[in-house]
Parts: sequence; C-alpha cells; structure tokens
Amino acid sequence: MRQPLKLHSSIALSALGVGAFLLAWEALARSGIVPAGLLPSPSAVPGAFLAEFRSGTWQAMVFASLSHYLSGLALGTVLGITFGTAAATWGVWDAFQAWVVRMLRPIPSIAWIPFAIIWFGVSKSAATFLIALTVFWINYYATYSAVRGVDKDLIELGHAFGQGGLIPRLFKIVLPGALPGILSGVRAGLGQGWMTVVAAELFGISGLGARMSDASGLLATHIVVLYMVTIAALYGVCDFLFMQVQQRVLAWQK
Amino acid sequence: MNGAKVNGSAVIDLKGVAIGYGAEAPPVLVDVDLSIERGSFVAIVGPSGVGKSTLLRVVAGLHTARAGAVTIHETKKPGHRPVSLVFQDARLLPWRRVAKNVRFGLEGLPISTTEREERVAAALRLVRLDDYGRRWPYELSGGQRQRVGIARALAVDPDILLMDEPFGALDAITRHGLQDELLRIHRETGKTVLFVTHDLEEAVHLADRIIVLGGSPARIVQDVRNDPGRESGGFREQVEQLRSGIADNYSI
Repeated sequence: MRQPLKLHSSIALSALGVGAFLLAWEALARSGIVPAGLLPSPSAVPGAFLAEFRSGTWQAMVFASLSHYLSGLALGTVLGITFGTAAATWGVWDAFQAWVVRMLRPIPSIAWIPFAIIWFGVSKSAATFLIALTVFWINYYATYSAVRGVDKDLIELGHAFGQGGLIPRLFKIVLPGALPGILSGVRAGLGQGWMTVVAAELFGISGLGARMSDASGLLATHIVVLYMVTIAALYGVCDFLFMQVQQRVLAWQK
Repeated sequence: MNGAKVNGSAVIDLKGVAIGYGAEAPPVLVDVDLSIERGSFVAIVGPSGVGKSTLLRVVAGLHTARAGAVTIHETKKPGHRPVSLVFQDARLLPWRRVAKNVRFGLEGLPISTTEREERVAAALRLVRLDDYGRRWPYELSGGQRQRVGIARALAVDPDILLMDEPFGALDAITRHGLQDELLRIHRETGKTVLFVTHDLEEAVHLADRIIVLGGSPARIVQDVRNDPGRESGGFREQVEQLRSGIADNYSI
C-alpha cells in the first residue's frame, strides 16, 4: 500500500519536480541537440516577457483573451445550467430535445469555427460564441445529472411544508441540492474554456492565441512559450479564485 | 380499556380509507375508519409493510388514498399549516443552518418577518436548542437533528403533528430522552399527534390511544385507550396485550 506523504514533503517534492523539469529543458536547449529556433530555453522566457510587457503587447493580448473568455464563459455557463435544469426537471422538454442534444453534442466546438467566422466575422463575438459552446455542454451535462440526483426525500419534504410548487421547489430544494454538482461543471468549464480561447484565436481573432500563431510563424518560439505560460498562469488564477468561492458557497458540506 | 370513544371535537376523520401501491396491485390497507380527537396523542402500530407510514402520508396529502375520504378539520388560523411532518431521518436541508431549517415551513405563509423569526426562536426553545440556530446540520448529533425536525414541524403551528417513526434510527438512550421531551412538548403545546412506530413499548409510553393495524390486507384490529408516561403498573400488561393482538392478526 502507498504511504500518504506529509504536506510539506509533498510541496517540497512538487517544487523539486518542477525544478528538475526546467533544468532538464534548459540543458537540452543549451546542448545544441535541438536547434534553438525549435526549442527555446526557459531562461529566455523572462526576457521575452519584459519585452512584450514594455511594448504593451502582453497586456493587450491578455485583456483581449480575458474579454473573450469571460463573456463566453458567462454565456455558456448560464445557458448550460438553465437548459440542463430544464431538461432534468421537465420530462416533456427532456424527451423533446433529447435527440437534438445527441446530434449536436459530439461536434467539437472548433468544428464550428467556419460558421463562427461566417456568422460573426473574425471578431470578439466569434470567439465568445465558440467558448460559450464548449462551456455550455459541460455545464448542461453536469447540471442535468446533478439535478436528477437530488434526493427525492427532500422533494417530498418540500411538499410536506408547502414548498412543493415549481418555483419554491426549484430554488429552495432542487438548485441548492444540485449545487455541488453544478459547481463541478462550472469548474470544468473554466479549464475547457481556456483551451477554446486559444483554438479560436489561432484563427486570427486578436488575443493570446493569435499572438502565439504570429510568433510561431516568425520562429519566435520563446514568445510562444511566454504565452503558453501566461495561459497556464491565467487558468491557475481563475481556478484558484473559483475554488475559494466554491469553498465558501459549499461551507455546509462536511 | 379497549374500544376508544370519539368525542365531538375530531380533528381528523378517515372514512373507509384504502391504500395501495400502483393501480394493479392489491390494497395493503383497507376499511380504515378513524376519528382522532383534537389534542390527543395517537400511536399507530403494526408490523412492517401494513401501510402505517403511507397512512400518515395520506393524512399529510403526500399520497392519494385508493378509496375513502380524509377530512382535516383545520382551525383556519392565518399563518399556519394544518398538518406538518416529522420524518424518521430528520430530513434537514444540509445547505441551511438550523434556524433556516426551522424557518422552512414558514416561508410563503402570510406572516411578518418579525413573527417568523419569533416563531423560529420559540420552536428552538421548545426543543431546547436555543443556541444552535447558527449551526450547520452536519454539526449536530442524531438526537439534535431530530429535535430540529420537531422544531420545524412545530413552527408552522399545525393542527396535527404527524410523526413517522421519528426515533427509530436513534440509540436507546437518546430515544428515551426524546420520548420524554416529546411528552413534555405535547403537554405544553396541546397539539394533536399522530405517531407511527413499530415499537409497542414506545407506543404505550407515549400515546393516549393506540391503533393496531394487522392482517392481510391490513385493517384496524385494535383501538386501545392508554395512560401514557408510566413505566410501572399496567405497562407490561398493556404491551403484552398489544403484542398478542398483533400476533393474532399477523401471518407470515
């Protein structure tokens, strides 16, 4: 059986792992085995950051991507939770939309890029649409199963105490009961949303992805790495902040 | 002691009630004619599967009787609910603190916020959990959770308190403590209590009237007046009399 590690040992080992990875990468880049244009060294990234930051490019790209991300995330999350709740709550609606969902769900968001560009042009709206689509499905399914999983005894409790009508049942029992599952879906959407941001912007919509695409065309791979690190950091911050909110909202769980 | 009389102040009247599960299956409980006096403490006992809990749900309006009529003679006071339920598993909403759980049944009633909060505080006082309003359900013991369930049911000032084996999942010490608490609450509030249990000793300890269900399909086989709260005198004899009555009407 595996022995659990103490917290400080675990943190120290994680830091050691990251350090070893960066050292190995640096050594490989400096060894000349791989041409510098194909694999930048990690030590080149801080310099790239300073140059991009001083020119204002980094801030502009981060702002543009955040703007796409947040609007797509908000739209997809709200619609996903709404439609997921509706499908899980009303059998008639569930049956009506079941095959539409089955047909649309397997189509990846990036397959909609041609339509996004035709409908919205190379614009913020196109990126928002694609991100919202990705986030929508994650939230739809998470909400659907969370709402279906709400304890039926609690629904009966609502009826016994005059809270059996649609609105009180929904807002006092079903949605609070489903909240842990719904928030898991929102969190998964946070990560998937960033992946779609990059995919959408690679097609020319201004932002981190577009900057990476431009830099790779010029073989400025240290700039590509800089923006990869930026995306990872932005996702890390979003996820961390969401976890703080989630812990507060779900303080009632043991 | 047998053959309970019913006076004119009935709060529940059941006439020819039959209960079954599903349209095709035979009924599990038939011919229930029962009139329950206001302020009485009535226990319904019987073996598993005779429909005790379902009968309670029929009175609560959560299950539809297959035949017969259920009449609740409610007092029509503003800001109250005619019936309220205490469940075996306490059934607290885990995302609400204790006070908000007690408040649950009051929401939507035409009462002021001040009155609502006063009724929550009074109900918590009644079950001796005055200082527990800010706690989460997971921070409570099984007995405390059940007290909150009782407070929630009392806060709506019901004509009838329906209790579905409320102490069945508790350890013996907690159960006996809560039984005495319930007798005190019944004395202080004068509420009509309809109490389902499979524990004959519990029924004899608590109720002033005991309805025994038995047979297949089940029906009322005994309707017994009782003097609750005593542990000596005829307690044992009463329990044994009920036990033999059930055995006579119960075949495996």
